[in-house]
Amino acid sequence: MIDHVDGVAFGVFIFLFLVVTVLGFAAARWRRAKDLDSLDEWGLGGRGFGTFIAWFLIGGDIYTAYTFIAVPATLYAGSAVGFFAVPYTIVVYPLIFLFLPRLWSVSHRHGYVTPADFVQGRYDSRPLALAIALTGILATMPYIALQLVGMQVVLEVMGIGTDSSNWFVKDLPLFIAFVVLAAYTYSSGLRAPALIAFVKDTLIYIVILVAVLYIPSQIGGWGHIFDTVTAGFADFNSTNADAIAAGEASPKATMPPEAAQWAYASLALGSALALFMYPHSVTGVLSTRSRSVIRRNAALLPAYSFLLGLLALLGFVAIAAGVKVDNPQQSVPQLFEEQFSPWFAGVAFAAIVIGALVPAAIMSIAAANLWTRNIYKAFINRAATHAQEARQAKLVSLLVKFGALVFVLALSKDFAINLQLLGGVWILQTLPAIVIGLYTRWMHRWALLAGWAVGMAWGTWLAYGVKSPVQDHFGGPLVNLPGTETKVYIAILAFGLNLVVGVVLTVVLRAMKVDEGVDQTRPQDFHADLGDPGVEEELDAETPAHA
Amino acid sequence: MTSRDHGARRWSLICLLLLPAVVLPLWVSLYDREDPKLFGFPFYYWFQFALILLAVALTLPAYFLALGADRADRVRHGLPAEPGRPEGRDGGEAR
Repeated sequence: MIDHVDGVAFGVFIFLFLVVTVLGFAAARWRRAKDLDSLDEWGLGGRGFGTFIAWFLIGGDIYTAYTFIAVPATLYAGSAVGFFAVPYTIVVYPLIFLFLPRLWSVSHRHGYVTPADFVQGRYDSRPLALAIALTGILATMPYIALQLVGMQVVLEVMGIGTDSSNWFVKDLPLFIAFVVLAAYTYSSGLRAPALIAFVKDTLIYIVILVAVLYIPSQIGGWGHIFDTVTAGFADFNSTNADAIAAGEASPKATMPPEAAQWAYASLALGSALALFMYPHSVTGVLSTRSRSVIRRNAALLPAYSFLLGLLALLGFVAIAAGVKVDNPQQSVPQLFEEQFSPWFAGVAFAAIVIGALVPAAIMSIAAANLWTRNIYKAFINRAATHAQEARQAKLVSLLVKFGALVFVLALSKDFAINLQLLGGVWILQTLPAIVIGLYTRWMHRWALLAGWAVGMAWGTWLAYGVKSPVQDHFGGPLVNLPGTETKVYIAILAFGLNLVVGVVLTVVLRAMKVDEGVDQTRPQDFHADLGDPGVEEELDAETPAHA
Repeated sequence: MTSRDHGARRWSLICLLLLPAVVLPLWVSLYDREDPKLFGFPFYYWFQFALILLAVALTLPAYFLALGADRADRVRHGLPAEPGRPEGRDGGEAR
């Protein structure tokens, strides 16, 4: 079953994977609470993570393995806008700094676990909360699937896997990794990814720093790398000039041509706005112990952005080092295999695979929280106890993960990537209800719902119509701004229409005096902090060493 | 000066501080160029790395301003300035 596998690399890889597995199960005992039978404990880790833990947890959450595979892959493939991940992860932090402490406060005051809980409490609208919850689940599922795609790429490069045509046998190693992940998420909840994130990020930092310091020095320095890549791309563009002119190939570039500047900026802005609407980022933020933890992390998390930028450039390093792969996503793992000694390659592969486990766990927990709070409790069992909620969430976290697994194994990878692209478009449509709701109750609940529906429909339709040289539909995230030749990110366009519909209908509905429901929140709830009534520390046992 | 003015002024200052960290990365034409290079990196790349450092440098003072702004906001909304020291409230003591 295993051929062309380097024994040392494989051994190191397995060792690190085992360490993480043990940690995952031991996490149930870490910062132990009375029991794990409530969503506050299982689904939010006791809401008690301090700055240090939150930095690893949110970092592990936002900068996923798929990011680490896909971003350098876009640079390797010569996509001029691929580096937008860096401005995107700069822009996101001021937004987190301003908006999320308010969400934290109101959520702690009222025991909200999900963004849809907040929307329900603020707008007194079950349909709107359901829409927010469904959007969150829908957008998260393909995101989990992509973590598997990232893992699969590494396993392929390592040569683990079989040539069997049966999809189950072929991907047995992936399957095993996922069963392990599912088991410890089930038993430890959010504590598992929080603890594993330490290992994951330490490994990732070491690997990337070594990679960006060591490999360029081996192949002639950064200046040489950029020159080689620029010359290579120019060569490609002149060789394929006819195909490019006919739209059968995309020109390659190291930086955006003038025409693509708005695409670059709108991708960065749209992704930044969407990022902290994702259920898993909200889960990470709500698990912190005070408002200041969030703000401090807004200043500390950009360290990951720096790392991401360096990692992205490894796509160019791979080109200059002569790495030749058909699937660009394999470029960086392949670079590691060629340039590192086997044991360090093993560390690097483990770092990426573990890097997939952390966000996959958090995402499945976030999706499970949404299901439990906003569908199960809101519609199926309105009298659910804390223990019933926790049991429901644990089971759903399994279901979500296996759904994602079947998705990746049985359906095509491209399908997962297309859906992930749509996920960003969809999740941004929940922003008006959540972020505007943090500041004012002016928007009408039915107007928000209508805006959401219009944004979802238009965004999906626009994405459906995008052709690429290899796909007839869902070929990319960009369309022409209506009436111009300037390409922009679909999510931003749909979001704009969503806002317009929401504002116009609010004016109309208010003029018609349509019932706006009862607001559960009070203005002071948005400023509550640790120590205020209703915002007590949820942890009651052993004071943690790090917090 | 009332706490309302105090809080509002601090928040405007915070937004002003954070504004460059949002606007500069999105102002692509500003940095979409090859030269001047630094350590072999085209301007386009090293400028964006520099923006990360700039964003951190701006977020730090914003953090300290926000501490005061939060206090002013709390007082304005009838909460004690510091949490965990309930004034005649039956609240939990911060441990």
